[in-house]
Amino acid sequence: MSDWQKELAIYTKNLNKASQDENLTRALTRAVKSYRQNVDTALCQYPHTPNLAEEVRAIKEYSMAHNKELLEKAMQAIESNHGHAFYAEDRQAALQIVKDIVGKGKIIVKGKSMLGEELGLREALQEEGNEVWETDLGEFILQLKKDRPMHILAPSIHVPREQVAEIFSKFFQKEIPADITEEVSVVRDFLREKYFTADVGISGANVVAADTGQIVIIENEGNVRLCTGVPPVHIAIVGIEKLVPTFQDAMKVAEVTWRYANYGAPGYVNIISGPSKTGDIEKVITYGAHGPKEFYVIFVNNGRSAMLGDENYRQALHCLRCGGCMYECPVFQITAGHYGRTYLSGIGSVWTAFIEGKESAAPMLYTCLRCGRCVERCPMKINVPDMVGRLRSEVVSD
Amino acid sequence: MTTKKEIPPVLEIIRSNIMEYNNPLALNCRQNSSWVRDLELPAQGEILFYTGGEYQLLPYLAPLLKTLTFIDPASKAFSLLMEGRKLVKIIGITPEKVLAGVLAQDKERYNSINYKAAYILKKLGFDLCYDADVEMYSGALLYELGFWQDFKLYAARVVEVIRKTQAKTVVCLSPHAAEMFKVVYPQFNVFPEFNVKTFIELVWEKRDNLPQISDKSTVVIHDSCRLARELGITKEIRDIMESVGVSYVEPVRNKEWTTCCGGPGKMLFPEIARIIAERRVNELAETGASKALLACPYCLSSLQAGSKQERNIIIEDLVEFLYRGFIANV
Ligand code: SF4
Repeated sequence: MSDWQKELAIYTKNLNKASQDENLTRALTRAVKSYRQNVDTALCQYPHTPNLAEEVRAIKEYSMAHNKELLEKAMQAIESNHGHAFYAEDRQAALQIVKDIVGKGKIIVKGKSMLGEELGLREALQEEGNEVWETDLGEFILQLKKDRPMHILAPSIHVPREQVAEIFSKFFQKEIPADITEEVSVVRDFLREKYFTADVGISGANVVAADTGQIVIIENEGNVRLCTGVPPVHIAIVGIEKLVPTFQDAMKVAEVTWRYANYGAPGYVNIISGPSKTGDIEKVITYGAHGPKEFYVIFVNNGRSAMLGDENYRQALHCLRCGGCMYECPVFQITAGHYGRTYLSGIGSVWTAFIEGKESAAPMLYTCLRCGRCVERCPMKINVPDMVGRLRSEVVSD
Repeated sequence: MTTKKEIPPVLEIIRSNIMEYNNPLALNCRQNSSWVRDLELPAQGEILFYTGGEYQLLPYLAPLLKTLTFIDPASKAFSLLMEGRKLVKIIGITPEKVLAGVLAQDKERYNSINYKAAYILKKLGFDLCYDADVEMYSGALLYELGFWQDFKLYAARVVEVIRKTQAKTVVCLSPHAAEMFKVVYPQFNVFPEFNVKTFIELVWEKRDNLPQISDKSTVVIHDSCRLARELGITKEIRDIMESVGVSYVEPVRNKEWTTCCGGPGKMLFPEIARIIAERRVNELAETGASKALLACPYCLSSLQAGSKQERNIIIEDLVEFLYRGFIANV
């Protein structure tokens, strides 16, 4: 193990600085309050949700135990739907597949994807001379700000409207007032043109049904519909942990995910099975009707099978990325994503240990209070404190 | 081993202190047991009163960490300071001397909580035993900080020492110790043969014999994470309050949703820990209560440190609160 004290010192400084940042504190306090209220309301309105979450837990357990089979099945289903399925063992392989499909000098519109962050996908495509646009508003702001997401659901939680106005004014080279409606509208106009000139749309997925090969993407802004529906090519990048046996299972996972992400019902749920097609002229099936002509799904491992293979950590893969735990974490409540790298807070430290290595995860692992409130909130009842304790013991004994 | 040098020194110091001195700050047993005073507790018996030296530790921990708050954990100064702990062995000075700046008043307060707890249990009719010479810390920090190999060995030593007292029940003053014995030791294949109870559970069993308390202040309950979530003890505290005739209010986050006091973060992130404590004190104060009651040494020390003058809320251990009922009735 190399010396992680230096890294710890930088990390601590950052953490302390974040905790003193009044903008951040204000934004987080508001976010935590409204998250709790919204979830309470949603759970009251849809009281079957906790039971459904239990069902989803069982689905996830089954899916992890049968991951290999599900992957094969899903890949076959995607191919028979006239899409193309790939498997990437690691980051390098995943990026190569995307680069090969995309080529150089293209315009790409991209939906929010944690896996995309993990792979450094946007940067990798830009290096190849492509023009890449994040279309989720929060991510778009961060792209311009050259910053990283501070929350998995609300990536730019730490940027107040005044700062957004500043960033936009500079980028659009005209005065944008610190008015949220105007800020939204200027991005809408800008990206609209990009959707219709883009060569490729890239998205992630919240869950994938192995039997039908359908991918499900939950969103609110409508940007994912456009990214995945308008350009002639759609590429979906998906972690192998997102596979579940059936379409019915996928719907259950999706509902629990959005409910604990504080939505009664999200703006949109996209279900995609293959390229767009029509048989309207002489019953001849032709691909690329109104939507994409080509559809690619890339399943990525990148450290996940190590989690899968270790029963102490397998539960980390059950994570729906609903973000609930983060709102309950006393450290996250004052530091946001500074308590994290690509993946954030307690659950993020476990993911970091497998994806970037224990050494990189060490400062995060020791930040956890092991207070256990995240487990109360987590729909999957993921025992983060237990895994954090275990990983600490591996860090000190390595 | 080279790796040990590379982990933050504060962790290594705590580890070696526990392994060598049976106490995270190398405080000696005798010093730890000065609270017993006139209680005359036998060394052997059915019910062992277990302090684990935790309340005794706190007045030392707080000023030490306060000093550290202003030092970069990766700096030389920090290492030197922490290495200083090792001097205990080499030149025979004790941490009590190293940390001479500890307020006598704090020392007295935390020490007396042990006395008051034992006093309450005796008055409720429990025959306690206590052996000052052999009491060891539970090892919770070894577990928390990841020193699991050491922890396994240490846990076996603790159980062996307790076995000698012939106690059938061990009553833990700190919920952290109770969690160790009840939940964590067995995970390491160390199986205590004794029953493990918290102070709260024992008091709860005889709550009908508690004297009434005429405290006019509005009281709010702060549940400790370990007690509420790991040990599932929340209702017992409320029942006890009812038995002594004191009404109480709940903070926004309570019982299994309670907010951590920040204590566990003190070792490496004291600044963050302090803010978390302050925020929890705010949650408690927002109820309008003028007194917050809790039942955990670390919560007591953290929230005490996090309570600012303007908040005007008294932080008290349930032990201190209940004891007053007995004294008023003497
Ligand atoms: S660990 Fe649980 S609460 Fe946190 S994001 Fe994952 S599923 Fe949601």
